[in-house]
Amino acid sequence: MAQVRNWQLGRDMDYPYVADRPAKQFTMIMDTNKCIACQSCTIACKSTWTWGKGQEFMLWNNIETKPFGFYPTAWDVNLLELLGEQEWEGDVYSGQTVFEAAPAGERVLGWTPAEEDWSHPNIGEDEPTGNADDTTYMPENPHSLMWMYYLQRICNHCTYPACVAACPREAIYKRPEDGLVLVDQTRCRGYQECLTACPYKKTMFNLETRVSEKCIGCYPKLEQGLQTQCTTACIGRLRLTSYLSAPDEVDPRKPADYLVHVRRLALPLYPQLGLEPNVYYIPPVHVPTKYLTQMFGPGVERAVETYRNAKDDPELLGLLMLFGATERIWHTWEVADGVARAFDEAGEEVVAVPLREPTFTRPFEFATDVAGEPATGYRHNT
Amino acid sequence: MAERVTRKDALVYGGAAVGGLVAGGAAVTAVAVAVENDKARSPVVGAPIVAPYVDGDLPDTDPGADAWDAAQPVLVPLAAQQIAQPYLEKAGVAELEARALHNGSTVALRLEWEDDSVDDLDGIRRYHDAVAVQLPTASGAPPALTMGEPGSPVHLLQWRATWQRDIDSGDKTGVDQIYPEVIHDVMPDDVLPPETAQLYWVGREAGNPLSQLRRPTPVEEAVAEGFGSVTHLPSQTATGRGVHEGGRWHVVVSVPSARKGVGAPLTPGSTWPVAFAVWLGSAENRGGRKHIANWQTLVLEAEA
Repeated sequence: MAQVRNWQLGRDMDYPYVADRPAKQFTMIMDTNKCIACQSCTIACKSTWTWGKGQEFMLWNNIETKPFGFYPTAWDVNLLELLGEQEWEGDVYSGQTVFEAAPAGERVLGWTPAEEDWSHPNIGEDEPTGNADDTTYMPENPHSLMWMYYLQRICNHCTYPACVAACPREAIYKRPEDGLVLVDQTRCRGYQECLTACPYKKTMFNLETRVSEKCIGCYPKLEQGLQTQCTTACIGRLRLTSYLSAPDEVDPRKPADYLVHVRRLALPLYPQLGLEPNVYYIPPVHVPTKYLTQMFGPGVERAVETYRNAKDDPELLGLLMLFGATERIWHTWEVADGVARAFDEAGEEVVAVPLREPTFTRPFEFATDVAGEPATGYRHNT
Repeated sequence: MAERVTRKDALVYGGAAVGGLVAGGAAVTAVAVAVENDKARSPVVGAPIVAPYVDGDLPDTDPGADAWDAAQPVLVPLAAQQIAQPYLEKAGVAELEARALHNGSTVALRLEWEDDSVDDLDGIRRYHDAVAVQLPTASGAPPALTMGEPGSPVHLLQWRATWQRDIDSGDKTGVDQIYPEVIHDVMPDDVLPPETAQLYWVGREAGNPLSQLRRPTPVEEAVAEGFGSVTHLPSQTATGRGVHEGGRWHVVVSVPSARKGVGAPLTPGSTWPVAFAVWLGSAENRGGRKHIANWQTLVLEAEA
């Protein structure tokens, strides 16, 4: 075991291979507050990459309702139970990671979903939780204290992937140029060790080719400077495909560095597992802190407060407005005169978005004349 | 002539050492001759696996052939692999019964072990039964038992229940085998030209031998230089067949003696270290999660 630095844990940790950070790291930022679980991302991914025979169970991208939605079933709660109760001391994780807690004879602590666990991707959808007695229909409390929210999930293209650690064939690798984690389709022999080891359950088994496959970060698009299919198909414009700098090379002009390292608004998913995942989530503002802390680590309260104040924070607001505004990957942004502008690496403008969309009032002549009824307003689609 | 087997070699080979000493191939041959007429042939423990010379064709795809009665079965102890991670936590089968024949141009082994269930599909958390034979590529002291080591390779012959089923069931492979009632809507090969549709079976398109579901043999021939380094050989010459009967697998694995491009030929009269591995699909055995045997001795009798 090597000792590697995991900045999300605030400490060094054990990992089977020495640390070798890529030149730049693929990352995706998800604003959970904007998601309506329409699954446009899921379908965009499925219809691009996994509609082949043998891939029937595969959703490289999925949206699940928390706390009762899972794909595969109970993936996170099963692992949390295996790992047991662990502690943070401030921003430093004092518990064990899945590498440190690996049983004898194993490289990673993991559990293996059964076939049926992959068969209910919409389990728990829209099911809320909370104490109903405290909540609904109370006039003085218009917002329900019941809660649920949607979690957007792709491969985390981790800095310290458990799939890489567990593969006895070294058939999974992390690309040095952009940090994508890929399965070498010529080398894999279908042992499915990665399906057990990946805590996020984002490696999957192809029934026709009998080898593992996983989210490829839409690398053919990335290589052309384009954001991923799930990002560009998102009607809620809640995703950003970008690159994250190494923690000692943070550049506040870059959007991911700003959101993750400078403002600490976007947080990793289950950082305590120790993989240093590279998908970051802006946590939902309406969910109990205790639950969010378990899922996103100790920075949750600060992130929620920052998000709640974003309306008075033009630089941050402008950055969030640029999510989903263009298919191109952009590298810096600025906000001036009520407009957010994104720029490519050469400093050329890629897209501009107003912080407040202008309002138009339609003239009355578009009102509908319905026979026998007074002209009351605008035409509707009947 | 048989290669001389020293006491040291016999101990290293493990199974050969039960009598305390194996003086050489000639003595081993004498043991085999002594039991030649005993058709009942109870399996013995700890003896070399002696392959009588057969004049003519070998039953190289027929585990039930009478010709196998000419060979003395040997019981080979199996243990859970706990040398390299990931371990097999607990052994599910204690021994493998092995016997061998050869005819100067082919060496065939019949391998049997107890397994209540037939596991011959590869699916999600569904693993297959299998058996493998491990031979050195060069004569002399055996390489590391752990599938060889860098610079000291081993020659592997692995029979897989899944591959046997691929062959036995004709066109139905993969998804159609796992879910016989499956109904698909539009699949890439329904709407795209074949060369484009093929891209959706990436493993197959990339040339991974596991992903080719139509195959001529259930036995894969590979070389390795240590755990995790199995390399499929470009020329596949091994054959075999497995049958599940009476709660046991009966599998024949055979390979041309010449071993062209792989290693030293398995000439009549020579003695070789040989090791085995067994996988129980029902116990989630796969890859390194397997049962292994220590090096045994394979004696190829001289031509009569």
